[in-house]
Amino acid sequence: MRFKNKVRWALLLSLVLLVTMVVGCGNKQDSEEVIKLGFLGAKTGDVANYGIPGEKGMKMAIDELNAQGGILGKKVEGIYEDNKGDSKEINLIAQKYITRDKVVAMVGDPCTGLTKVAADIAQKNQVVIFSAGATGAGVVEIGNYVFRNTMLDTVAVPVVVDWMLKDKHWKKAAIITSIDNGYSTALTPIFKEELKKQGATIVLEDTIKDKETDFSAQITKLKGANADVLVFTGYYTEAALIMKEAQKQGLNISLIGGDGLYGQDLAKLGGDAVEEKVILYCGFSTDQPSPETAKFLENYRKKYNEEPDMFSAQYYDAVMILAQAMEATGSSDPKVFKDELAKVKNYPGVSGQTSFRADREPIKSPVFLLTIKDGAFALVDKIPVKTE
Amino acid sequence: MDAFLMQYIDPYYLRILVLIGINIILALGLNITTGVTGQLSMGHAGFMSLGAYTSAILSLQFAAPFWAALLCGALVAAFFGFLIGIPTLRLEGDYLAMVTIGFAEIVRVFFLNFEPGGKAVGLSGIPQNTTFGIVLLLVIIVIFFNARLLKSRLGRSMYAIRENEIAAEACGVNITRIKVLAFTIGAFLGGLGGALYAHYMFFIRPQDFAFMQSIELLNMVILGGMGSIPGTILGAIILTIAPELLRIVAEYRLLFYGALLVLLMIFRPNGLLGDVRIYDLRKRWMNKEVGA
Amino acid sequence: MFLEQLLNGITLGSTYALIALGYTMVYGIIQLINFAHGEVYMIGAFVGLFLVAMGANIFLALLGAMLFCMLLGMTIERVAYRPLRGKSSRLSALISAIGVSIFLSTLMALLAQTNTRSYPEVISNRTFNLGSLELSVLQISILAVAAILMIGLQLMIQHTRLGKAMRASSQDLDASYLMGINVNRIISATFAIGSALAAAGGVMVGVYYHAVWPYMGMMAGLKAFAAAILGGIGSIPGAMVGGITLGVLEIMGVAYISPSYKDAIAFGILIIVLLIRPQGLFGKKIVKKV
Repeated sequence: MRFKNKVRWALLLSLVLLVTMVVGCGNKQDSEEVIKLGFLGAKTGDVANYGIPGEKGMKMAIDELNAQGGILGKKVEGIYEDNKGDSKEINLIAQKYITRDKVVAMVGDPCTGLTKVAADIAQKNQVVIFSAGATGAGVVEIGNYVFRNTMLDTVAVPVVVDWMLKDKHWKKAAIITSIDNGYSTALTPIFKEELKKQGATIVLEDTIKDKETDFSAQITKLKGANADVLVFTGYYTEAALIMKEAQKQGLNISLIGGDGLYGQDLAKLGGDAVEEKVILYCGFSTDQPSPETAKFLENYRKKYNEEPDMFSAQYYDAVMILAQAMEATGSSDPKVFKDELAKVKNYPGVSGQTSFRADREPIKSPVFLLTIKDGAFALVDKIPVKTE
Repeated sequence: MDAFLMQYIDPYYLRILVLIGINIILALGLNITTGVTGQLSMGHAGFMSLGAYTSAILSLQFAAPFWAALLCGALVAAFFGFLIGIPTLRLEGDYLAMVTIGFAEIVRVFFLNFEPGGKAVGLSGIPQNTTFGIVLLLVIIVIFFNARLLKSRLGRSMYAIRENEIAAEACGVNITRIKVLAFTIGAFLGGLGGALYAHYMFFIRPQDFAFMQSIELLNMVILGGMGSIPGTILGAIILTIAPELLRIVAEYRLLFYGALLVLLMIFRPNGLLGDVRIYDLRKRWMNKEVGA
Repeated sequence: MFLEQLLNGITLGSTYALIALGYTMVYGIIQLINFAHGEVYMIGAFVGLFLVAMGANIFLALLGAMLFCMLLGMTIERVAYRPLRGKSSRLSALISAIGVSIFLSTLMALLAQTNTRSYPEVISNRTFNLGSLELSVLQISILAVAAILMIGLQLMIQHTRLGKAMRASSQDLDASYLMGINVNRIISATFAIGSALAAAGGVMVGVYYHAVWPYMGMMAGLKAFAAAILGGIGSIPGAMVGGITLGVLEIMGVAYISPSYKDAIAFGILIIVLLIRPQGLFGKKIVKKV
């Protein structure tokens, strides 16, 4: 009897699951009336602090578009699923957006690897994907439906290294990589190559891991290395903690890094340990903003009562660039408007001026060098980049 | 076959089905080690990543045929399963669990530093040869062999070790051989699942095979019912679908998922189908038909 | 430099030890790997942060966090583990523990967002030299608090009635019950004490390393489990020694071998130790009977 109950129980459960699955996903909406955009990013899990601001930027862009009457007179609707920063999830979500929700484009993901998973599916189904954060190699090569809106490290790093050597005379660099961070692992070789090319010496190479809090051993080593500057290729949380530890151990050194360091938490976590000591490059500055950025800042602060970050700006821009391309071609068919996207030149976005090269790689100009002053990002220098 | 199916089934569901299939293969492997033989392994993702990376590198760098990449991935994982099986002779219970966790972490750190594997950036552009048809075929083969295995002398010896090691030894079961074998077979299936995963996802990176992945697989085995093939399959199905279904509660999804695990364990402490054997199931089914 | 690194290692290790104590105590009595323990540590750190932000003194905050987590630990035990006890295998309780762990970390992420938060500077950062060694007030305070808690625990276990009952229960739960010990209460007390220690660990990590975030429990829990196993799970001095050994091993691995292989080194040594001493450093060898 017990056994029969078990089997019955199991059958019942599977039935319930199946029914919920069919019913839960059965209600299809007519996709002709609205233009749908899918959000890619994590809202929970350990990379959620890159996805959540992105979602806010995207929502704001869509609200603004709808307030002006939508795209091509149709209402714009965003769909915001949470991918937890997990490959399996983004794989399913991308497919769901395309075949069930009938989106015309997906915006995201902040992470290069996950963007590739979604990009492969988007390319096969001929839907546009516009990443607002993927900086690593091999993304737009996946196909002609794949775009991104980020400052490329291969473009920015030569400019930054030149500045380091000429303006600051920092000749001896130490490099710290975050070993389990794809962004950092990809950025380090770019920095190393450029430093060598321009004649700097690398006195110490070391690694940390993301979300670790104890960097005492690395800093103790760094103290003995006698470096002029520390190049750190990871994210802002770890950068702040590294500087805290350096301060604790009485080491006075500047830290330089990429736009992965751009987050309000850098100043919040780092406190006076990062004041005018951390320098980062990015395509976005809230200090001396362009008119577009100033308007975005004002609206964002009003709407969310907090400071936007790079991801909110890039997601916002991505939606707006998509809207512009659809308006220009008069079509919301990805097959049509994708070609218009590739032609974008000098788009005055809130995250910097964006152009696409012939290979569809974005060029953002100028490169902003920022530091922390009085707990906020402050402009150090503004260096233009040639678009071709 | 996939193109044909896509006319009738939404590709989104097809993807879920493929994922369920891969998880069934992975969980059935772990079921042999942990569910049947009772050797707690909390590092199954380590075997999975060995299979995934081996097969992906073979496909990408050497343009190996798909079946060869699958087989090599599974064999490399099986070899490491054999190595990890050896400490089981001296260790047991949670000490063994710690060794398996340590093993999986070492494998992950290895791949984080492994240049041909792309380090933390991962490997992308892996040919997507894992289709629904292939997964379905492999799932059927794996279930069939699993069922035969558990019914055989070897399988019964495995159950005996789980129930009482000393008594089993006294009855003439060669504990050493069978424990190592249980790890090797489990790892083989882990590697096979990993290889399928790599050729399904297009992209792999070391963090896909972190500790949580091992735990997820262990959840499937225990939730379904330790040592039961139908149970493990059910566990794999439920835990693959649950996160997708729970999308309706948006950001509270994982809250519900966690609570679901606790509740299921409270109401079904021995798993959903604890120790229900596939052959019993068939027998019951037949009897019922005869009775009707 | 070696001495400095050693000190770094001992400081890190003492936080591992505090979490490992809770693991080992619970395990000693009900043989459960309490995966939610790392989450209790995380919540302890957040409660401490909240209290400090409200203007409380750091020691008050420490006490508050410990009290809160005592209640939390007891609640977890009551809700998620007790209903399973005696009805199922140890592994079902493990899944339940994993469920609690996922639940708590998600809950915290919803309540406090997923940003890393920092503790304000509550203890002076001043350093002074002791020979060639550079010590900070902060480091000394952390070590002192850890030492006081561990010695206090040891005294309690050895010399109070509750401690005696705990030791009895860890030897034989059923026999203790027959001797008139209220076993459920003892288990509850064990969870309370273990959770309080984890909370203390959380607050200390927050103060020392400045960073607190909702997903910090997982890795810390794993490390603490490793420390408890290394020392011999179930053994209280084992957890202390295991924690400190693991901390020192990690730091030395980073300093002298390679930081990229940090975890691999720590786990590799752990595996070797277990192969030589399968019961851990301080574990008792159990003679198996049919």
